[in-house]
Amino acid sequence: MILTGDYIFKELLKGNISIYPFKRSQINPNSYNYRLGKTIKVFDKFVNGKSVFKKVVIPESGYLLEPGKMYLGNTYEFIGSKKYAMSLIGRSSMGRLGLFLQVSANLGHTTSYHKWTLELVALKPIKIYPKMIIGQISFWTNFGRIYKYGGRYAKINKPQESFININIHDFNRV
Amino acid sequence: MILTGYKIIKEVKGGKIKITPFDHNRITTNSYDLRLGSKLIRYTSKTLDPKIKPDFKIMDIPKSGMIMQAGDFLLGETEEMVGSDSYVPIIHAKSGTARMGLFVHVTADLIDIGYYGKFTLQLFATLPVKIYPYMLIAQVSFWQPKGKIVLYKGKYQNSDGPKPSMCYKDFGKINK
Repeated sequence: MILTGDYIFKELLKGNISIYPFKRSQINPNSYNYRLGKTIKVFDKFVNGKSVFKKVVIPESGYLLEPGKMYLGNTYEFIGSKKYAMSLIGRSSMGRLGLFLQVSANLGHTTSYHKWTLELVALKPIKIYPKMIIGQISFWTNFGRIYKYGGRYAKINKPQESFININIHDFNRV
Repeated sequence: MILTGYKIIKEVKGGKIKITPFDHNRITTNSYDLRLGSKLIRYTSKTLDPKIKPDFKIMDIPKSGMIMQAGDFLLGETEEMVGSDSYVPIIHAKSGTARMGLFVHVTADLIDIGYYGKFTLQLFATLPVKIYPYMLIAQVSFWQPKGKIVLYKGKYQNSDGPKPSMCYKDFGKINK
């Protein structure tokens, strides 16, 4: 089941959901509006099979995303839950402007708590601003015993590029 | 929990789910198939800025179809008005649509409980693809909520066609 906004707030008060900083006005009927952080990483080049990103501080006057590029951002808030699974998406107001907030990776694991990395893809040139409300996260009840996620990204609070090459090396070693 | 097609029919009959027009034949095992409407929106602003009202033009999709080029981004509409005060709708492409390389939303699949109206489709073509008015293009699933329901009263309520982003309307207010 998906939690209603009212229930998200109740579970936040009980400590079963954590959102920091939290604003009640960012609650929706069945999700919470999150903000964009203050920095992004811009894809720079592809070297030896690895993507290299450059860090950019988003100016107060805005930063223009260009189509055809992929940027990594993060949520301004720390968001997580020890009890619920999460789904992170963009706001419809941003989708209507052609901005992807993730690249088919919406699922957030129960027990993770961090600033989420966002994968920004713009279909038209679009300006983004630091701390703007940009997406939504919903919370879902679990069915079954919760087994703690030991993922590499669960505690990372900056826009984080993929560790997937490292995973492949680990895999090859086995 | 996700509703089965059988349960969607029951809830449409009982009034807890609204789909207008409704056709029994378009129920699937876990969803209802939605048609593309006849109107499209294309932004004409060179750069989009969430603080500024975007320029756009509204077009009709000819009966003979229209080709979207790879990289094209247009806003469409569902032919149906859809909503529920009891369940949370989520929009998906039909798998046949996706296999043609066409996105129907841009990471905005979740509909607020209490919304009722046409859905605005965020059409993004990754390959050249021909679209026709009233073609089956998307599907909607319904999910059971947990907790007290407070209904949506937002700026897109009762949309009767594709709606461009209205982000600029409350940008200053909500981003304080």
